[in-house]
Amino acid sequence: MKELVTFQVGSYANFIGSHFWNFQDELLGLVEDAEADLVFKNQNIDMDVLYRTGENHQGMPTYTPRLISVDFQGSLGSMSSHGTLYNQNSSLSSGVTTWLYDEGQEIGANNANGIDKASVESHSEILDTDVVKSLEDGVQFWTDFSKVHYHPQSLFELNGLWMGAQEFNNYRIGRDTVSEGLQGDEINERLRFFVEECDHVQGIQFIVDDSGGYSGVAASLLENIEDEYTNVPVLLYSVRSPDSYTKAANRKQVISRKLHDAVSFSALSSLCKLIVPLGLPSLSENRASQFLNLQNEKPYHSSAVYASAIHSITLPFRMKRVGPAGESLNESGAMDLYEGIQIRFRLVNLQPLTPETAHDVEDLQAIESMVVHGVLGAVREAVETAYENTSTRPRFSHVSVSRCPLPIPLPFPSIFGNLVGRRGELLSNPQSGSGSGSGSRGSLDVHSIPMAARLRSTTAVLPFLENRLNNIHKLGIERGSIGADVLRDWGFGKEEVEEIGESISKMVLALDPQQGYSSDSD
Amino acid sequence: MSVRVLNPNAEVLNKSAALHMNINAAKGLQDVLKSNLGPKGTIKMLVGGAGDIKLTKDGNTLLKEMQIQNPTAIMIARTAVAQDDISGDGTTSTVIFIGELMKQSDRYIDEGDFMLILGQLIFFEKHDMALLYILFPISSTYVGCGIVRMHPRVLVDGFEIAKKATLQFLENFKTPVVMGEEPDKEMLKMVARTTLRTKLYEALADQLTDIVVNAVLCIRKPEEPIDLFMVEIMHMRQKFDVDTRLVEGLVLDHGSRHPDMKRRAENCYILTCNVSLEYEKSEINAGFFYSNAEQREAMVVAERRSVDERVRKIIELKNKVCNGTDNNFVVINQKGIDPPSLDLLARAGIVALRRAKRRNMERLVLACGGEAVNSVDDLTPDCLGWAGLVYEHVLGEEKYTFVEEVKHPHSCTILIKGPNDHTIAQIKDAVRDGLRSVKNTIEDEAVVLGAGAFEVAARQHLINEVKKSVKGRAQLGIQAFADALLVVPKTLAENSGLDTQDVIISLTGEHDKGNIVGINQHTGEPIDPQMEGIFDNYAVKRQIINSGPVIASQLLLVDEVIRAGRNMRKPT
Ligand SMILES: Nc1ncnc2c1ncn2[C@@H]1O[C@H](COP(=O)(O)OP(=O)(O)OP(=O)(O)O)[C@@H](O)[C@H]1O
Ligand SMILES: [Mg+2]
Repeated sequence: MKELVTFQVGSYANFIGSHFWNFQDELLGLVEDAEADLVFKNQNIDMDVLYRTGENHQGMPTYTPRLISVDFQGSLGSMSSHGTLYNQNSSLSSGVTTWLYDEGQEIGANNANGIDKASVESHSEILDTDVVKSLEDGVQFWTDFSKVHYHPQSLFELNGLWMGAQEFNNYRIGRDTVSEGLQGDEINERLRFFVEECDHVQGIQFIVDDSGGYSGVAASLLENIEDEYTNVPVLLYSVRSPDSYTKAANRKQVISRKLHDAVSFSALSSLCKLIVPLGLPSLSENRASQFLNLQNEKPYHSSAVYASAIHSITLPFRMKRVGPAGESLNESGAMDLYEGIQIRFRLVNLQPLTPETAHDVEDLQAIESMVVHGVLGAVREAVETAYENTSTRPRFSHVSVSRCPLPIPLPFPSIFGNLVGRRGELLSNPQSGSGSGSGSRGSLDVHSIPMAARLRSTTAVLPFLENRLNNIHKLGIERGSIGADVLRDWGFGKEEVEEIGESISKMVLALDPQQGYSSDSD
Repeated sequence: MSVRVLNPNAEVLNKSAALHMNINAAKGLQDVLKSNLGPKGTIKMLVGGAGDIKLTKDGNTLLKEMQIQNPTAIMIARTAVAQDDISGDGTTSTVIFIGELMKQSDRYIDEGDFMLILGQLIFFEKHDMALLYILFPISSTYVGCGIVRMHPRVLVDGFEIAKKATLQFLENFKTPVVMGEEPDKEMLKMVARTTLRTKLYEALADQLTDIVVNAVLCIRKPEEPIDLFMVEIMHMRQKFDVDTRLVEGLVLDHGSRHPDMKRRAENCYILTCNVSLEYEKSEINAGFFYSNAEQREAMVVAERRSVDERVRKIIELKNKVCNGTDNNFVVINQKGIDPPSLDLLARAGIVALRRAKRRNMERLVLACGGEAVNSVDDLTPDCLGWAGLVYEHVLGEEKYTFVEEVKHPHSCTILIKGPNDHTIAQIKDAVRDGLRSVKNTIEDEAVVLGAGAFEVAARQHLINEVKKSVKGRAQLGIQAFADALLVVPKTLAENSGLDTQDVIISLTGEHDKGNIVGINQHTGEPIDPQMEGIFDNYAVKRQIINSGPVIASQLLLVDEVIRAGRNMRKPT
């Protein structure tokens, strides 16, 4: 077995992570659920890759994510940083079982009876509909919608910052926070705790909200990983919430943000095997959300989409290696050929979740890894055919297929449009949702969706790189540039700033040998 | 003299408002922390959002847990936390001293109007330093009696003189401790006990005293700075008892990962190494580089073979030193060991631990001897350390490995057992403070009489000698500084529920008679700290005297502060 350790650093990263673990928790529950669809029972997915088995002080077995989450003190809302499983007085919290409900049954019951108002009043019981509604009404902390039990070593709160999130806004502050004092050491110790248990770590997946100081926090943690676990590859998602793109208050802030983006990207990309920038300024207006109905201003909404993408991408890392026999399990006839058609339809529509990318680029050198899950039929062939007709066929491509769709857990936001069916199929007639909003459907209406996601290394990312490169040159390196003071404040000397420029320009060169940085005459 | 009419000039108003904000913030933080000071200080309970609790009496811990918003308070808190980083103690004293300096300044600044009424304009020779504020609607009786605020620079100059004089006084006042080959253990114990008793109840503090002193003496090497990291602090959560002990050797927080390895072994050779004993090529990398399956397979085999080879070298060494004896062999590796390697080692009768802490590599060698090796190529018996006993202790999912009965330990472990996290955390903090106090004493080769004795003595010195030697307004700053020093004995008295006035009068009275006394925390009577064994660290006191006035001065010269700090927002 090949274990993965997950890091979630910063607020939005934890929002995404919370959804991500909800998916996993849902999958785990469905395996045991007698009434769940067979695709969930015969999943070819090894959960031990992401989870660890343990035992609490009462001798009860536990199964918890192999996770380290780092966030501000106070960001855990009503969740204890020790989790719920290892407390001495765990009997106190055992009353809160609403998050661990058994999906198939309860939803079935509610749908059949409609919302039973009387029962709400008689035994003030919390119904699923209430949960969905209250989450739509307001989510403040990522823990508000988490249904997962965490290990006491998992949730780390940074203390002693004495500043608001607005001031914790640059690479330098973050680095200082973890390198001074013992907090960095403590997080690294927790990582060691999880890694020591592993027989063979296949890698670390690292989600960081790098819009502010957490970029520096991450860099510092990644340096330790590089030192201590030299050959363990890191797959890094640098994520941005839509509200990190809100208009800067003044010119100084504009400059400072641009420089931070360059500094952060250069630092983080040098400390991992693969970096995947995620997070569009506006998800709701993107074509990726064609069938979605989500509200940009709610991190609870957009993070669910990114979490589902990360979920898909990680599937190949934990698929059990079985022979071709695995393909023959066709008893789950619930889905049929039409899904195969659907996949072809969506393939062309795969939309980047990385900001600042070019459209319609032809890149013969592209490398990609595609994951398609939740569909039956000849997926590989469908992908092949789809590529045959396009000019965007990559040089290398790896396709992973799983029959297990993305399960939609109860705390998933109501972001589906009214054309999305119970199993994620596209309906010909709009259906209204049972949720509060008229046009949107949520976890009570949609139980699973098939998905396709791909990671692609291509020249489409050039604008992203060039923007950073130009900014560091214009604002930081050129004579008399206005950002030099800011960079100095962050502790970067002239040479270090030049190194940052060089590291990005190397990346540009690697993708596009003709271009290089020398063409900066504009 | 520059005279400004208050109302039309917002700038001036802002400055004075900012000054007041600073003074208030400093007082506020002082109010929060002052009840912590000394053995009679109260424990604070911090409750998190989910009902997590944390108990602390430690200023440093408390500050870090607090969500401080006010920029002035943040500045003071940073200074205090830095105090702890540098000298390991004195956070609370720093905060209350700064607060008191600000309070005293406030008093003197306000007394400005008093002075004007009395016609003591002599304080304002340098006219540009003083601002005359005339309150706008001036009633006829007060015509000519506006409020004069002297520029805080007046006080700051005095602080500077007082600070220098106090540091000099400290040099004479401190009690030298001779640290020869054998340090004065009784003295070390007294210092440790004083510190520990400010954090834990007496019986527990006294139990820790010996542990802390012995731990530092264990790792001390003549002529080298003491590296407290060589004392490992390990904890175990155990249901009922609170118990702490010193393990001469090491406790690791993990165990072997193979069912067939011994859980207890005597007479052990210890191999401390940083060598990867696992198959490392990641599949993802391999996938791209090898064009066909056979090529990949071949690579896998080759890599496995080289890992096995390294394991074999370790087994060879084991056989060399252990064959024919009943000695055992334990490998403690900083890198990973995968199941096939564990299998090989287990079959050879070797106990192996993987992913040891980086610091434990150093500690193991200091505890057991031998050296930490980074490669298995030139293994010799000289690389090996020795421990009489190695055993595993399992607690739920947690495993501990004890490496004990070592020959000449220069590294050791303090093992804390407690029923819950907050008890453990509190003891841990106290142990850290205790260790620092012993280290400081050895390195300072001096201690300072505690229980307020130093502060009262320094104050008398400032008033009776220093103030008189200075002319003019700087006297005010010296007076303020001297009075601010008294905040320590005053607060100690207050926390004991005593009348601060009475206590201060009797203490200063004794000092004027030439008796160096501190406060008896039970009765408020003067006591001789030397007799009672109440000693503080010299380095800590020095640092408090140094940093307090610096930060207070910055806060008083308020307009300079706003411009200087990067993180400073303009106070609103
Ligand atoms: N038995 C005692 N009787 C009277 N005063 C004492 C006694 N023991 C210690 N003190 C005094 O208590 C003060 C130290 O208190 P405490 O350790 O609570 O605060 P601190 O060292 O300033 O801050 P912290 O330890 O929180 O970082 C010193 O001034 C010391 O002289
Ligand atoms: Mg103290």
